[in-house]
Amino acid sequence: MGPLLYSLDLVVYIGIFGIVSISLNLEFGFAGLANFGKVAFFLIGAYAYAVLSQIGVPFYLCLIIGGLISAIFGLIISLPALRLRMDYLAIAVLAFGEILRLVVKSEDWIAGGDWGILVSPIFPWMGSSLIYRLENIGLVFLCLSICFLVVQLLANSPYGRAIRAIREDEMAAEALGKDRAKFKAQALMIGSAMAGIAGGLYAQYLRYVLPEMFMPMVTFTVWIMVLLGGPANNWGALLGAFLVETISRGANIAKDYINLPIDLNDLQYIMFGALIIVILFYRPQGLLRESQINTKGLLVAHNARSTIKDKGS
Amino acid sequence: MTNWAQVFFNSTITGSLYLIGAVGLTLTYGLSNFPNFAHAEFVTLGAFVGYVVAEQLGLGLPLALVVAFVVSGLVGFLCYRGIFQPLAKGGASIIHLMVASIALSFILRHSIGAGWSWKPRYFSSIGAAFDVGPLRITPLWLWLIFAALALSLAMHFFLMNTKMGKAIRASSSNPELALASGINVDRVIWITWFIGAGLAAVAGIFRGADTQIWPMTGWDIILPMFAVAILGGIGNFYGAIAAAFIIGLAENIGVVGLIAMGASTTYRIGIAFLILIITLIVKPQGLAMLFRRA
Repeated sequence: MGPLLYSLDLVVYIGIFGIVSISLNLEFGFAGLANFGKVAFFLIGAYAYAVLSQIGVPFYLCLIIGGLISAIFGLIISLPALRLRMDYLAIAVLAFGEILRLVVKSEDWIAGGDWGILVSPIFPWMGSSLIYRLENIGLVFLCLSICFLVVQLLANSPYGRAIRAIREDEMAAEALGKDRAKFKAQALMIGSAMAGIAGGLYAQYLRYVLPEMFMPMVTFTVWIMVLLGGPANNWGALLGAFLVETISRGANIAKDYINLPIDLNDLQYIMFGALIIVILFYRPQGLLRESQINTKGLLVAHNARSTIKDKGS
Repeated sequence: MTNWAQVFFNSTITGSLYLIGAVGLTLTYGLSNFPNFAHAEFVTLGAFVGYVVAEQLGLGLPLALVVAFVVSGLVGFLCYRGIFQPLAKGGASIIHLMVASIALSFILRHSIGAGWSWKPRYFSSIGAAFDVGPLRITPLWLWLIFAALALSLAMHFFLMNTKMGKAIRASSSNPELALASGINVDRVIWITWFIGAGLAAVAGIFRGADTQIWPMTGWDIILPMFAVAILGGIGNFYGAIAAAFIIGLAENIGVVGLIAMGASTTYRIGIAFLILIITLIVKPQGLAMLFRRA
């Protein structure tokens, strides 16, 4: 693979994981939910795409239905845990991801079990991997832009202020009449739907699905992206996706040139683990700080204040 | 024809294993107020240390248990002292602590993988199986049941009759009050992490000897261990005893059911998940109400 194709491949990955990162940012950054099973919803999207595309459903429907199924599962799984403490949700969702991988692994009829199945790509293979990648970049970044816009708008809407308030102080928000379980469930559903769409894009880009693609590590790669970039800042989530994917590619390239006594795959996980702990110790707010809320009301208030100041001077 | 005697015997074995593995998880969860996902790696570490002592050095199972207990316990203590305690004192939220424990879990698992490779290993010196009536028994299983019994009695005595045990219970139920009564809560938490991680290592050796030893040995049983902690009531030792045997029974009866339905027995782990979810829906505080707070 030439350097150009390799970087284009990287760009597709950044786009796909950018979507997942944005969705986790909505759940964790804005709503303060510990979704430790992100990979489960990514898996649902990917397998939904794989199964539906085989029976001839058009690709946009595959993506949308995959997103919807993910959202429904996000609701069902989180419902028992949402009214409880945050750690119960984390355990329940993490467990769900493991079970789901087990199901697709042992049920051959879903999608080939252990061996996975081939997935027909959205863009027909024209014999040129350059065009194939460019087409995918276009589609992935279109989806990424939509997700980014949605989360950005949500974060700055009354809804966004409510979920931030619930994140900061559940009791206070509930005392003000915000149904915390409802808001949390909505955030999880939207986040899961986005992860599902990203999963569909991932499956069709790689042109196969395998249970091994959905190890718990995927979840934590996305967590590193959000924590590194800056929770509750969508640009931070994108920056994190860019950095993590680029670093991990860099490590893969370095593997061919550097001879280490330790397996590079292991080393990469150890480094990522250490990176998370360093972030938590020294910069828990991430590289970029939480984005300020922008609303028309604030803008008017700001203008009014500066007008008063002008008059005063 | 199902051999029900064997099913019940196997349930006891499974329950004993989960109990030894999950005691540390539930006690540290109750004291430090966050679920330590890296607890699974203490299990794995114990299995590997035990393998080195018992198989590679040929010093036998009893010594392997002791060495693994101490090594894993020290690692557990150092993890808490070096990572979780400073984070918690620095005001990290529960989510941050959970993320840190997952990060630690990856560091430990892949360090073990890098050090010992991912190739599965097996204990050879576990003794031959023998039949008692309808039961097939291995010496290892008898050791495991004996270990769980000894653990239960020792922990009961420790928690009820020693100063340290009382301090653990006091710190778990009300840390501020414990601190005000002159209990060194930090030291209590350190000792609990040491004991918990050490017991996880013991479970690791039994699990490793019964199945295989590889860097995922602990992660393979993290789900039932969490189910034990939550069903038993977080931080509740007596609840954990009951929960471990309930889950052991449910898993083994479930396997019989799965075979009868012609489903894959890999779903056995799904039974623990089901119990976990049902507990969260029906009674999130678990069985704790049935037992004295411990």
